[in-house]
Amino acid sequence: MSLGIDITYAARLLLKKPVFTLTSVLIVAIGLGLTLYTYSLLSQLIFTPLTLNSDTPLIAIEGEFNDAHGRGQGADPYHLNQIKAESELLQGMSLYLSIVRTISGVSLEVGSRKVHLTYGEWDFFEVAGVQPILGRGFNPQDSDSGAEPVIVLSHDIWQSLFSGNYDIIGTMVQVEAMSKRVIGVMPEGFAFPAIAQIWLPFPADRVNATQASNDNERRAFGRLKPDVSLVQFQQEARGILHRHFQALTQEFSWRAASPGGYIRAFPYKLTNEAVNHHYSVFVAMFIVVLLILLLTCINLGNLLLARVNERIKEVAIRIALGIPRKRLVLQMLWESIFICCLGGFVAFFLASWSVDATNSAFDQIFAVNGERPFWWQLSLAADAMIVLLIALLFMVLLTGLLPAWRALSADFNAVLRDGTRGALGQKAGRANKALVVTEITLSCVVLVVATMLLCSSYSAQKADYGVDTDNRITAAVRLSWGSYPWNDGAPEARKKRNDFYYRLKDELQQRPNIHSLAYFSSLPGTGGGSSHFEIQGKAAAVFNENPMWNFEVVSRDAWRTVGMKIIEGRDFTLSDLGGDLANTESPVIINAAMARDLFPNGDAIGQRVRTIDGEGFQTEWRSIIGIVSDSVHGSTMASTSAQHTGYGMMDRHRWGVNIVIHYSGTQSQAETALIQAIKSMDADVTIYHLQSYDNLIAQPMLLVNAVNNIFLWCGLVALVLAASGIYAVAANSIALRSQEIATRRALGASNSQVIKLFLGQAGIQLIVGLTLGISLSLCLVSQLTESMVIASSSYMIGLVGIPIFIIAMVLIATYIPSNKIIKQEPSEGLRQL
Amino acid sequence: METSSKNRAVTNLEKPAVLVELKDLNKVFVTDEVETKALNNINLSIVAGEYLAITGPSGCGKSTLLSLLGLLDTPSSGQYQLAGHHTASIDKDERARIRNKEIGFIFQSFNLISDLTVAENIALPLTYRTDLSHRQRQQMVLASLEKVDLTHRAGHYPSQLSGGQQQRVAVARAIAGKPAIILADEPTGNLDSNNAEAVMTLLDELHHDGATICMVTHDLASAARSQRIIKVFDGQLIADKPTSDNATINSTLIETSAVAV
Repeated sequence: MSLGIDITYAARLLLKKPVFTLTSVLIVAIGLGLTLYTYSLLSQLIFTPLTLNSDTPLIAIEGEFNDAHGRGQGADPYHLNQIKAESELLQGMSLYLSIVRTISGVSLEVGSRKVHLTYGEWDFFEVAGVQPILGRGFNPQDSDSGAEPVIVLSHDIWQSLFSGNYDIIGTMVQVEAMSKRVIGVMPEGFAFPAIAQIWLPFPADRVNATQASNDNERRAFGRLKPDVSLVQFQQEARGILHRHFQALTQEFSWRAASPGGYIRAFPYKLTNEAVNHHYSVFVAMFIVVLLILLLTCINLGNLLLARVNERIKEVAIRIALGIPRKRLVLQMLWESIFICCLGGFVAFFLASWSVDATNSAFDQIFAVNGERPFWWQLSLAADAMIVLLIALLFMVLLTGLLPAWRALSADFNAVLRDGTRGALGQKAGRANKALVVTEITLSCVVLVVATMLLCSSYSAQKADYGVDTDNRITAAVRLSWGSYPWNDGAPEARKKRNDFYYRLKDELQQRPNIHSLAYFSSLPGTGGGSSHFEIQGKAAAVFNENPMWNFEVVSRDAWRTVGMKIIEGRDFTLSDLGGDLANTESPVIINAAMARDLFPNGDAIGQRVRTIDGEGFQTEWRSIIGIVSDSVHGSTMASTSAQHTGYGMMDRHRWGVNIVIHYSGTQSQAETALIQAIKSMDADVTIYHLQSYDNLIAQPMLLVNAVNNIFLWCGLVALVLAASGIYAVAANSIALRSQEIATRRALGASNSQVIKLFLGQAGIQLIVGLTLGISLSLCLVSQLTESMVIASSSYMIGLVGIPIFIIAMVLIATYIPSNKIIKQEPSEGLRQL
Repeated sequence: METSSKNRAVTNLEKPAVLVELKDLNKVFVTDEVETKALNNINLSIVAGEYLAITGPSGCGKSTLLSLLGLLDTPSSGQYQLAGHHTASIDKDERARIRNKEIGFIFQSFNLISDLTVAENIALPLTYRTDLSHRQRQQMVLASLEKVDLTHRAGHYPSQLSGGQQQRVAVARAIAGKPAIILADEPTGNLDSNNAEAVMTLLDELHHDGATICMVTHDLASAARSQRIIKVFDGQLIADKPTSDNATINSTLIETSAVAV
């Protein structure tokens, strides 16, 4: 009965104050919605282990992390197999290698198509825990030398290239112009290890290494046994490797001393480079959202506190009439329960909408390269609902108990006796000051981090990459291994490849709408990642004290296509391409920044350089023949982006290349011309990622921009919460002191002295709050700089602009209620309830 | 009950100067389109050195009258002259300055600021003056503390004092700036009889030393210690009698008591 009365009473109170109710519900909805969405995003992208039809998690077992390139490396299969053979904590482990290849022989309309191929051991699908829906997976005989080449297709490829034909099993398809028999089709959505579209069995001789080698391209994944933690397995793997490293020859002894461990085991979802590279950004996002949730709680708590202050006399009467403390607390909680549940309901819909919007954003981001990991499909899963319920409970308790505490801690005798608000004791006063300081600190951190990320992103978008991108299209070109083998750079093999590239160039450049065409291994604005190199005669004593550069290859006559130009020396010519590569000096062109920084005497031309690493690897010596204008390789927001670049001659290397075309007319005309020219020359040559140069440069930024958009929303939410929260806390705090203000005015304080008093106190709170806020922001930002470049201008805006903004906000939030209160006659304040 | 101070004060007023003068003073409160006439054509003069008690039942307008006297509120119409200042034409800052220099307040609920120590509370009105040095302020605070016998409590916070002590601090704060008039609103309303007696004795002493006191009170005994009793009823001043006239005072107090009950 009493429960019903309490619920009805709480509902009536909320309906009586619709603005308060609506504001509170919105605050809860935004805070909880953001929390629910971010939790879903981060847990599904990063934190929830990948299990695939099992209760135990899959883990990645890979080579060391290369900081300069911002990605993990493969490892020697010799060591991976040692772990596989000796581990007692793994249910299974399988080696794999993922690469881009072409598939053809499907139909004339489809022609050849780029696919993401994964070579896996015969037990690949067993360890992954997923079996084909059609046909079979691999068996040990498929890896035998001389066995018929077989292939397993993804559901996506089966549907898109073979129209879901159930008779596909047993038919032949061409991969890199080599025939493979289809033996299986995997279930829909399965693309393990991440984006695979076809799977081939590893030939046994490529995984069964009998001794250590420099073949460092294998990766592995494993499944932990039940109740085994990743840490336990990491210790076991270290022990196994330690034993075997003792027996390594001098050539490979560096593996034992590798600082991060030559082979690492980590949660499988961290294999995604974008996640790995921006891990600190995601963590920062998580922290920021938690801070926003805290801000939400404080704001709601404050709103409810202000309401209790308004109703303090009513509460006093209830206490005087003998209400049990428990029931009073419950009455306070009911209001919170109503507000939080309503807010939670709206939050669910907000989060659902955000999840759908994110999936659409992912579709857009990965539309061109198709590199969306199969688990990047967001939904509001059951665990997210549990988080919502826990957050709701936390919020109900925090926002309900805070006003209850205030209600129970007031001096009711005083309230009832003289009807004044003099009951605001030192404790409550201190609590209010702490609330303001907390609001300032939290809003400072959220706004500074969000602003700095947004500014950096904006700067990166406006960055000058040193190239002209207007009226340029780009595409990746793939010559199939079957038709264009490299044969270790044999002259005839090189000639066949280079002839294709330069015939295509000549063919297209003859067309009136094509001005020029060039090939780059990575175009400026993409690529990046640096390696150490040595200048002949100036080698540093320790390899990593040598300078770093990014090495790319380009075709002859490439620069004008992207608006770069030779500023000293010469371009590559046919004379640089001798019949025998080993007996011809390898030429290199360096960019102006590198010439300026590393050869300040202007004597770069003629110097010889070579790439080296700490593992004894070194390239041939390369002679600097020219200096080209500067460009940036990699996104300007990525910490691995390179300012120093050396360009080798494409004709001498087997690297895959990207084409760039400078055209006039429409983009589609240029694209059609390219496609037609390739088809007419060789239908088995595949081009993919066909897009404008502007789009290509924007690609690495898309994910970061999407994350920044979330930060923008966080920043806006924080801004609204902070502004309203600081105002509400300040207004409530000042309202609670209305009697003190009236007393001061009665004693002769002028209006300006009263305002000065409050502004002074706000000043102290600002100093404390901003000091804490800026310190915490700097900690977070220093973490972010590990994975991205924070633009220098954003420091000014973030660390100066935002504090100034907060100062203005707090002073205004203090001035308005102070000014309002001094407009009253002092007598009103003295007799106020 | 009668003290010699009352007689001394009267006899000292050979040529009393008018400190407060109210003419046809009205105060109307308007809330939700309802007009409430709190004070109706009040005419009153208070001379320097006078000890005045304002009595009347709850809601009669006595506290409103005290607020107007203390420049804590503005009248709806009429004139009010305080220590030579025509209060109708002055701005808020000037009113604050007059409150600070000419008026000392004692409130029923003490209205001490909990974050400030006893000495800081007493110094509060002095800190709003620009004509006093820090040293002068300290001396004035010390003198006030001695007057109320709380020197040993100077560093304490209000919450560490009893109700009686808190009201003595309020008295010390009211007299620290040597105001022309002390306005006391139910100064013993929140105190037990012992503490109430102590505070009233303190007021008697202040009056004895020449202070002008205007006190709103329900307490008959407290009112009887003044020189003059004003009775307010329904916003109107219905009686204004000196307490030296025992017959008059008794009838006034009995009437007040009857109405109050």
